[in-house]
Amino acid sequence: MTTEALTPSPSAPSLLSLLRVWFGIGLQSFGGGAVTRYLIWQASVERHGWLTDAEFTDYWAIAQIAPGINLLALTVLIGWRVARAGGVAVCLLGLLLPSVAITIALTVIYAQVRGLAGVQSALRGIIPATVGISALLLWRLAAPLYADSRREGRASLILSGVGVGAAIVLSIYQPIPIFVTLILAGMVGALTHWLWARGARRG
Amino acid sequence: MDQLTLFLLFLKASFLSTGGTGNLPILYTDLIARGWATERPFAEALTIGQITPGPTGLWVISFGYLIDGVPGALMASVAIAIPPLSVLLIAVLYQRYGDHPAMSGFIRGLSLAVVGIFAVVLVDILRGNGLDAGALLIAAAALGLALTNRIPVIAIIGLAAIAGVIIYR
Repeated sequence: MTTEALTPSPSAPSLLSLLRVWFGIGLQSFGGGAVTRYLIWQASVERHGWLTDAEFTDYWAIAQIAPGINLLALTVLIGWRVARAGGVAVCLLGLLLPSVAITIALTVIYAQVRGLAGVQSALRGIIPATVGISALLLWRLAAPLYADSRREGRASLILSGVGVGAAIVLSIYQPIPIFVTLILAGMVGALTHWLWARGARRG
Repeated sequence: MDQLTLFLLFLKASFLSTGGTGNLPILYTDLIARGWATERPFAEALTIGQITPGPTGLWVISFGYLIDGVPGALMASVAIAIPPLSVLLIAVLYQRYGDHPAMSGFIRGLSLAVVGIFAVVLVDILRGNGLDAGALLIAAAALGLALTNRIPVIAIIGLAAIAGVIIYR
């Protein structure tokens, strides 16, 4: 990515129209992250031409290494590109407002009825289902890591396996706080990748 | 429960996660250890998060409401909006050091650890709900239905609710 990629595009839209576009995305994005990402692409590349397809791909790659929700990071990058700080604020607000409001409303309704006996037994069925669906989410998190390791060979696979195993043991017994475990895992990853790359260059 | 601490815990979990549910294991261990939440609201919020629109990751807003009402929901909303702002700094670093192996390695190590901790949390939630044959069957069936990619999540949850009413009446 070049430096120009982060400079505002010449035909900057007004903040109000930006808000309208992102509010629409937030309102329509039933069905999870992939749908939201498609809507963002459609609005910013296809419909309004704020960035090119290649830039969108670049932005998505960067958003994935940012902390927190990737789609929000993508929104921040596009908002900055279109109208700097004001754009960031307006795009985030537009995207989040409808979905946050609906989430809170649903939770309020749920909190009203959760004491009822029927709801309690329904919930005892729903919670295992949520765990089952989340297991799929877990697999989607793990699959690209597994694919990378397999491509790199057996040593990388074993190291990744040991890493996951160590995280499991550390999170069950918690001799150190979880965030220390996470940062340690990141540092081990950084070190091994670096040494590996140096070895590969020399070897 | 001290609200400033709660907000900072939300914020920390979001900063240390990549992706919408990556904050779950960190928040889970922090709040269970303090006795500020049980497995139950986590499970409830994850369920609500799966049927609401928007990016995956808004479950934490529902969770905030369940443990602390409207202030909790608002704190959670602010806490998930702040960490993604750092992407602007990361974009600059990415231009200069993006191809450095230590950068991709750090994220790889972090993600692997999240996978391990996540698995432990899921088992914990299942156990907290009462682990019996019915629960295992529902979890396996839900995973199977989700794998087909054809049945909307809300329909799976509806079926599970019916199963729950029949089994645990």
